[in-house]
Amino acid sequence: MFSKPVPADSLYLAWAAAVFPLAAFGIIMIFLRRLPKAAAGVSLSAIAVSLVCAVCLLARHWHLEMPLESTVQWMASSDFEIPVGVLIDGLSLLMLVIVSGIAFLVQLYSIGYMAGDPGYARYFGFMSLFAWAMTSLVLAPNILQLFIFWELVGLSSYLLIGFWYEKLSASQAGKKAFVMTRAGDTLFFCGWLILLVWGGTVSILDLNHSAHSLSQAMVTASALLVFGGIAGKSAQFPLMTWLPDAMEGPAPVSALLHSATMVAAGVFLLGRLFPFFSQSDAAMTVCLFIGFVSMLLSATMAMVSRDIKQVWAYSTVSQLGFMIMALGAGGYAAGIFHLTTHAGFKALLFLCAGMLIHACETNDMFEIGQAGGRRMKLTVLCMTIGALALSGIWPFSGFFSKEEIMAALAAANSPVWYIGGLAGVFLTAYYSFRLIFVILLPGSTKAHGPGSQSGPEHARAVMHAVLVILAVITLVMGFFAESLQNLLTGQGVNAPGVHGPFPAKVVSPVLAIAGIVVAWLEFGRKDSARIGFAGRISPVARLFGQRWYLDHAYGWLVGRILDRGIAEGCQQNENRVIEKILHTVAGSVTACGRAAAGWHRAMIQSKLMVVFAVVFGLTLILLAA
Amino acid sequence: MTIYAVFFYIIAALIIAATGLAITRKHMVHAVLCLVVSFFGTALLFYLLGAPLPAIFQVIIYAGAIMVLFLFIVMMIRIDPEKTHRFPLGHYLAAGGICGAYFVAAVLLTLLSGPRARQPMPAATASPFDFGYYLFDRHWLSIEMISLLLLVALIGTLHLGLGRVGRKQKKGGGQ
Amino acid sequence: MIVPYTHVMLLGGVLFLLGMICTLTRRNLIMIILGLEIMLNAAAITFVGAGLHLQQIEGQAIALFILAVAAAEVSVGLALVVCIYRQTGTVDPQCIEGNKCQLKPDQTG
Repeated sequence: MFSKPVPADSLYLAWAAAVFPLAAFGIIMIFLRRLPKAAAGVSLSAIAVSLVCAVCLLARHWHLEMPLESTVQWMASSDFEIPVGVLIDGLSLLMLVIVSGIAFLVQLYSIGYMAGDPGYARYFGFMSLFAWAMTSLVLAPNILQLFIFWELVGLSSYLLIGFWYEKLSASQAGKKAFVMTRAGDTLFFCGWLILLVWGGTVSILDLNHSAHSLSQAMVTASALLVFGGIAGKSAQFPLMTWLPDAMEGPAPVSALLHSATMVAAGVFLLGRLFPFFSQSDAAMTVCLFIGFVSMLLSATMAMVSRDIKQVWAYSTVSQLGFMIMALGAGGYAAGIFHLTTHAGFKALLFLCAGMLIHACETNDMFEIGQAGGRRMKLTVLCMTIGALALSGIWPFSGFFSKEEIMAALAAANSPVWYIGGLAGVFLTAYYSFRLIFVILLPGSTKAHGPGSQSGPEHARAVMHAVLVILAVITLVMGFFAESLQNLLTGQGVNAPGVHGPFPAKVVSPVLAIAGIVVAWLEFGRKDSARIGFAGRISPVARLFGQRWYLDHAYGWLVGRILDRGIAEGCQQNENRVIEKILHTVAGSVTACGRAAAGWHRAMIQSKLMVVFAVVFGLTLILLAA
Repeated sequence: MTIYAVFFYIIAALIIAATGLAITRKHMVHAVLCLVVSFFGTALLFYLLGAPLPAIFQVIIYAGAIMVLFLFIVMMIRIDPEKTHRFPLGHYLAAGGICGAYFVAAVLLTLLSGPRARQPMPAATASPFDFGYYLFDRHWLSIEMISLLLLVALIGTLHLGLGRVGRKQKKGGGQ
Repeated sequence: MIVPYTHVMLLGGVLFLLGMICTLTRRNLIMIILGLEIMLNAAAITFVGAGLHLQQIEGQAIALFILAVAAAEVSVGLALVVCIYRQTGTVDPQCIEGNKCQLKPDQTG
């Protein structure tokens, strides 16, 4: 066996962490729709319980040597059973703490941010639904259970993106996110069906430990299909364009779902099945490649965007690409560690962006800068800390995780990945500080300060407290790198500690600083043109601004191939073939019925004839029997 | 071939011929008369097959009562036989098909029957006494049911015959 | 020794067939009932023959029951025919159905 049963008290803790938010969701949706304060209280206390449970679990199993797994049978079909239960190992513990922690902080922040919104109770209900789905996803011991919660997470994402459903763009963005992730999930579904049918198991531990006994082709095929789901959920190329649109939701939602936790579920799944994936070189190469492409593409998109939330969204895609590259290069601990740090500083960045947007009532960073966004000193300070972490500057958490990733990439088989990674580091620093400088050092400011301060004083205090907590986490997280790696690799995941060559350790911070300097030269200087180097060449700017025409490509694909080609062909088939066949069949059945009815409608003797014929037939049957 | 067999074949030919004539006559009176001959032949056949009591009943009930009833009705209902319509050809073809299938099946069954059925049957007679004793010994309940059935038929016939007249009378009385 | 049982059966079969032809092809209710009588008669013959073949009186008893049932059926059937004739003025089975009587114009004309 690869696992030990979970001790009873840990089991209760794990269940409690998952079930409390569900209970909160039910209570809010059924009883508290009209009581926003109570709804917020219930939701917050539930997620607080989850957080406490998660921290207790982490503390208890800090020196975990072997994964703990407890399952009960859910249903059994002829020769395989589908269990449900919990799987506790370093990865799930870490993710559980991240999810419940960020969810708690974001909900706390939301109390102020969402104040006065007519859908206040609904918002907290959906947040609880998400918390339940995400914690259960993290604890799932088999792929089926994981898939169920994977879909539930997608559902809550859809609900929260379209939270302001009166706005057309919001509901469209929700639909887009739902459909695009669904495209990936279909592949994921096929992938685990292959595993179930030919591999005979969906248990994660079994898969990880017995992958080498399965045939290579099957492992590759199912791994690639599962990777499709990962690409959809984590917004990787080519299914990446839903994430920037998903920023239509409230800023805390973007912070929680679309940067810190939900989109990280794809990376989490990749880490979950890391030993399985590493059995297939082809799948790993695809991971590397897809991560590489999405990382660079979205970094370039972030360079020209003016929408502050979209910049962070592109940056999220880019950082997720980094993680997937790291995992694809074999740096298991590096990828997951980056996930952890990224969750912290990206949530921080989004929450700061939310503060600025709330205060200035615009998403455009230039307008925010001109409206005097820098006067919100604490917010801008926290944002700068987040941006420093994102760029990978010592001593912020991003530095440590990025170092790990660069080391893993340097150890990969081809230098292309490493060079690409370095370019990514440079671009990341550039676009983050472009944003920071635009807000911090606007060319000219209007006389009056930022608009109406949001909410009552104590709510703002809570929001600021959340920002400070996240900033502190971002500051200190990097120094726990060693112990987190021990936690992650302590259970036989064969990831040798990768230590890059010395130049690698120097090159990437230097490039990051170079990026900051370039950003300062173009946006920060007093008499700068305030146009990025990409913006000077208009075709390139247009290319980046239009997201490399990916949406156009999809539009073309959907319009030409799906609508005109397949759908029209299907319609022709429907009209010309199927309906004709149906008409013929229906017509002949009707005619037969008419004929048969005719015998009964006709005079006695025709009926009599039928009776004779039937009796004759019955006699024959009886004789034959 | 015994004398019984000769009688059997003669009677069988008579029955078939008479029945064939009966079903093809245009005038129903002719048809009923032919059928009377056929039933007489059947009675003879019963006697030959060792059933004197059913033979007598056949003469009394079938040839006597039932056929006379038919004659009455035929005379009551006056129909010009020349004016009757014929079925369309398809109907005849279908009927012929079904009858042909029955005939083929009957011949096949006869040909395929076991050796015991091919043996000439021994002659035997159930005397009216034995028959009556057997009937009331074994089938007394069935006899009672038959009598009940006949009673019901009698009442039903009366009802059918009288109902119309009664209503007419009422109508007449109303006028 | 009389004939084999198969011959009796064949006779019964042919008679039954004749009755069937009568019921199927004549457009006359009375002839249909006549055909029924022929068929019942054929059945009775077969039963009596079977009784002789198996050396049992049972066959004759059933022939007697057939006779009784035939009598009851004929009386009720003929009463119905009379009723119908009184109501519709015809014994053509197709005309009884009501809507597609082709006979009436001929009868009136």
